[in-house]
Amino acid sequence: MRLAFVWDSRRCIGCMACVIACASANHPELLREAKPNPQWNWLGGNIRVVVRDVGGRPVLRLVSCQHCDNPPCVHACPTGASYIDERTGFVRLDPSKCVGCKACVVACPYGARWLHPVTMLPEKCPGPFCSEIKKAVCAEVCPAGARLVGDLDDPESPVNEVLRKYKTERMLEHLGTEPKWFIITG
Amino acid sequence: MKTSRRDFIKISTIAALALLGAKSYDLVVSRRLSESLLLEEAPVAGVKFVKTFGGMCGALCGIQVGVDGNGRPRVVFPIKEHPQKGLCGRCASAPWLWDNPLRLKKPMVRVGERGEGKFREVDWDTALNSIASKLKEIVDKYGYKAIAITHHDAWTYYMSLFSYLFGTSNVISHVGMCHAAGTVARGHVFSAGGPPSIDPDYENASFLLLVSRTLSTASMGAVHRAMTNERLEIVVVDPRMPEVGFANVKWIPIIPGTDAAFALSIIYVLLEEGLYNADFLKKYSNAPFLIKPDGKPLTEADIVEGGDARKYIVFDAKDKKLKDHREAVDPDLWYVGEATLKDGTKIEVKTALTLLKERASKYKPEEAERITGIKAGDIRWVARKLALKNGVVHDTWYISRNGNDYDDVRALLIINALLGNIDKPGGLCFQESARFPSVITVKTVEGKRVAETVYGATMPEELFGDVTQPRVDRAKYKLTPAQFDAVLDAILEEKPYPVKALFVIGTSPLMRDMNTRKVIEAYKKLELLVVIDILPTDDAGYADYVLPDTIFLERDEMTSTKWTLHAVVQKQSKVVDPPEGFDVRDALWIMFEIARRAFPERAKALGWDDKYANYKAYEEEFLHKLDDSIISRLAATWKIDKEKLEKALEEEGYYVLKRKEYYVRPYKTALGTPSGKVEIYSLAALGAGLDPLPDYIPPPAYTLPRAPNEFYLVNGKGPLTSVHASLMEPMKFVGDRSVWMNPRDAERLGIRDGDMIELESIDMGLKAMARVKVTEGVREGVLFTYSTMWGRISKLLPEGHFAMEGINPNLFAKGYVIPIVGGGASNSSVRVRKL
Repeated sequence: MRLAFVWDSRRCIGCMACVIACASANHPELLREAKPNPQWNWLGGNIRVVVRDVGGRPVLRLVSCQHCDNPPCVHACPTGASYIDERTGFVRLDPSKCVGCKACVVACPYGARWLHPVTMLPEKCPGPFCSEIKKAVCAEVCPAGARLVGDLDDPESPVNEVLRKYKTERMLEHLGTEPKWFIITG
Repeated sequence: MKTSRRDFIKISTIAALALLGAKSYDLVVSRRLSESLLLEEAPVAGVKFVKTFGGMCGALCGIQVGVDGNGRPRVVFPIKEHPQKGLCGRCASAPWLWDNPLRLKKPMVRVGERGEGKFREVDWDTALNSIASKLKEIVDKYGYKAIAITHHDAWTYYMSLFSYLFGTSNVISHVGMCHAAGTVARGHVFSAGGPPSIDPDYENASFLLLVSRTLSTASMGAVHRAMTNERLEIVVVDPRMPEVGFANVKWIPIIPGTDAAFALSIIYVLLEEGLYNADFLKKYSNAPFLIKPDGKPLTEADIVEGGDARKYIVFDAKDKKLKDHREAVDPDLWYVGEATLKDGTKIEVKTALTLLKERASKYKPEEAERITGIKAGDIRWVARKLALKNGVVHDTWYISRNGNDYDDVRALLIINALLGNIDKPGGLCFQESARFPSVITVKTVEGKRVAETVYGATMPEELFGDVTQPRVDRAKYKLTPAQFDAVLDAILEEKPYPVKALFVIGTSPLMRDMNTRKVIEAYKKLELLVVIDILPTDDAGYADYVLPDTIFLERDEMTSTKWTLHAVVQKQSKVVDPPEGFDVRDALWIMFEIARRAFPERAKALGWDDKYANYKAYEEEFLHKLDDSIISRLAATWKIDKEKLEKALEEEGYYVLKRKEYYVRPYKTALGTPSGKVEIYSLAALGAGLDPLPDYIPPPAYTLPRAPNEFYLVNGKGPLTSVHASLMEPMKFVGDRSVWMNPRDAERLGIRDGDMIELESIDMGLKAMARVKVTEGVREGVLFTYSTMWGRISKLLPEGHFAMEGINPNLFAKGYVIPIVGGGASNSSVRVRKL
């Protein structure tokens, strides 16, 4: 199984439901104290919002772990704490092996990892609540139908359906990271 | 058993957090890291989902709230099958509302000066008795009409009940600063009401034009239907790019306050290029009505002795005769000619459509380009797209901006009429009514009027008090759905009569209404100001009494579903009890208990027994009776089994009473306009002393910016806009408290992204500071900031709270109200200085 995320940039209206729901479900202990995620100076969740002017108007990108098939964070990890979960294809962290060296944080070209200000563990998607309910909260809450999670190895999966149907791109693909996080652009 | 590093960290964290006095850190503890995401769906241990509807704004989307084993709301999901499913950043932050440290926990009485923010906590009896005693004093001196109540979305259903409870007609909502001008326009063109009495059929539309309307505010059901419609092409016309512009949407920036010129130019292109639906206009609109030189319609009474003034005359092209529009076979849309009046006088008459085209000809695309800043080619492109793709123009919503907004909306609605895409799949459609029973209705029994509640209590006419007195806002603006500015005038000038007591329920005039300084002056002159709310709004800081309300997660309620074309009823189910130590009460209970103490005969007549002073008795008996009556009434109205309805509301959270039926109005059912048709030439407007056709006038609400350092200051809403949601912790990071400036303006003034600037109102002389965001998301010469969120002044907020950053745009709005229509204006103009 190789689970992948799809984000439909044509549909996303930037309502922030996924961003806030991810933080609220996965890291309420940070928000109640209004402690920022120090990496991004942002709320303690796994989705970062990037808005840049491109071609004369603001363009939005939602950035979280890309679940690379060739993940720099896994390669950089000296202890094997960062690994690809063979059952899901997701990049995960085994905290029992983490020595807090932050190599994964530095290695990730997407800046998708952030240090929990209390535990100092390098947090990332999927968060603990999503893992527990076995659902991606971001996809569940999206009002615009702009988010999808599914198995790339299953030809019948809705993810493969949309990948066949639409033009997609992956962020920083040229780095050879083989991200499993697709953006529908047209 | 080995202790892992993570376990160690967890233990240390728990200890540290316990020392900090933290309440619920079960999440860190309960992580089950051995399990992987998405192998199979399984409910998380102890998390239960309760179906309800969202109350973080007035949209009331269908949601389900996940509550963990500790009874704490943790996450909000949509109800997938709900006709208005979805949630945005507001409802996503609802878990923070429940035990938010800012929440009002106990009744408070003011001990310092108004606005000083000094309060003392008191028990409910003390607060309610004191309020009741003061109210009695005010009523004895000035009458019931000296009491006013203002509200927004919370408790709206009960407002007419409160009117009878307190004997006053002055229950005046937020609408004057929201959709008032649009609602008057909807009434004039389509005899429709407030939004969404008519709304685009998003899921079937092929081209949608949004002018000064962003879908990303409220109505996530509409967002879902629009964004999942693969055929739909969307164009947004707005001085700033609303969030919906992030999607695959064409954004056309427009100069603020010029929407009518843009819309009239579209009308011109449609008429000039023959891109209108002639068949629809002939049969279902008053486009062929003949209009006399005095602007009035030619009727049978004009041409025949004893003729009927309600028989509007058209020229029938089939037999070349003037006749009643209902009898004409082929009404001529473009007739211009002579008509002989009954006294033999000959006058020139023109069709309404001819007059519309003459008006629109003032705004040919090249001229409209000069006014609006939109290229003539783009105007023609939009017009042609609308016609060729059978498009629809949104009827707008939050429109109280520039003081000329009534004409904007009328012109936009007329575009829909010209396209004839009304009440058809993909068109502008009438919402099916859920026929939700009113909480109180007036009947005549044996020649006397009686007010009867939905649960069967009756109030005789003798107890009506001042309910039938003219509302202060309608005395000043006769067509307005609501205009709170008139309440301020009644407080300050005591005209048409003094208002001395004000209840502010779940809203914030200081954030909501224009000219903040005037609101403060009025507050200071009141004899009694009671704020019933859940969080310390700026207004709470000025109150004599602050009474803590329950939040939507803590109560049962029923309502019709707002943003769907179907007739749907939905239920809000109590998700959680208030947290320990929060001595909060429903505003409904609060208002009845104040009335019971001040005017016992009124409360009793409306079914309030003394035993309901006990909150448990109120919850178990009164609310049960109320809910049961509403369900019984709905079941009887729709001829459905009551138990079935109850079960569906309990289990699904909603019930579809009737699915949208297309091609009804105006095809089978006449409209409520004077002619019974769609009125491109508004006879109701004419009767009210307004121009029957829309026109463009430069914004009268503020001085136009002229100098290089002068800007329009426009405001708008977004998916986080809410007086309450914006105080939640996530907004500290996600909420945008900046003022947007175009990069070319920034470069010209030497301002960089993140710089602090001073804004000085051109009309009001007031100054405020804000941080600049340099972005292409706003057109040149314009500054944008979000409304009703930032620039808080409440002394009840902790010092340095993030919501105090940024500006409240209403501070700069001078307080212009559209005559007769009564819409307010929140935009303004400012001078900018880099700090």
